[in-house]
Amino acid sequence: MEQSKQLDASKWIDLYADQLFSYAFSRVQDRGIAEDLVQESFLSAWKSRDTYKGEASEKNWLYQICKNKIIDYYRSKKRSAIVEQDNSEKKYFDDSEHWATTTGPRDWQLNYQLPIEQKEFYSILESCKKKLKELQQEVFVLKYMEELDASRICQILGISNANYWVLIHRAKLQLRACLEKNWINI
Amino acid sequence: MITCKSASFLVSKKEEGKIGLIENYQLKIHLSICRLCRLFEKQGWLLKNNAPHTHTHIQETLSEEAKDKMKQVLENAL
Repeated sequence: MEQSKQLDASKWIDLYADQLFSYAFSRVQDRGIAEDLVQESFLSAWKSRDTYKGEASEKNWLYQICKNKIIDYYRSKKRSAIVEQDNSEKKYFDDSEHWATTTGPRDWQLNYQLPIEQKEFYSILESCKKKLKELQQEVFVLKYMEELDASRICQILGISNANYWVLIHRAKLQLRACLEKNWINI
Repeated sequence: MITCKSASFLVSKKEEGKIGLIENYQLKIHLSICRLCRLFEKQGWLLKNNAPHTHTHIQETLSEEAKDKMKQVLENAL
């Protein structure tokens, strides 16, 4: 008879609560909500522990459950579905639609392909993210942090494909400019 | 020749694998002569590759009270 894995709930919390909390917090930016999501994840995991077959590691299994809770949170969040016509892209381009001299991309003088290890980058990214409008922020989190595809994001947030493109593009333009100004300092 | 504004938008589309053949060609031509749009593309990759790992670099912790509360909830669920 195959020996089933012993899943100790209390041990889970000692081992994984902080990590899951870091993960959830980076996705929802609110400590209270992140804590609730982690709690729900542990509870869900505990209730479905019989379905855990040990294919993924315990940690990855818990992360997956937490990821789904985060997605559910975004799905049920009340929001205005109207994408504001703010034309914020305009400030990045001049009248001939070239990059404006003041806000156009500068060379960051680094290897863009290498993973970034400096904690400072991530703190600055987080504060830049907070400056985004709500829907832009949500699209950014689901696309760039959760790496979901466009159609799934549209379904979760209740937005059209066209809206999605506008939102992600604006988020990207703004984040890039913010990082350049605050992390690269140019 | 497409403008930088259009090119920047196409860069985002391409990143997602949603760019059409003609658009891809137009983008390629533009990127071959526009250094700023090439920078925008690279900086987009950087954002895309590193953003998912935020939580491994910024470690948050729960209070002991919060953890005890969680343990209690799980115990009650038994």
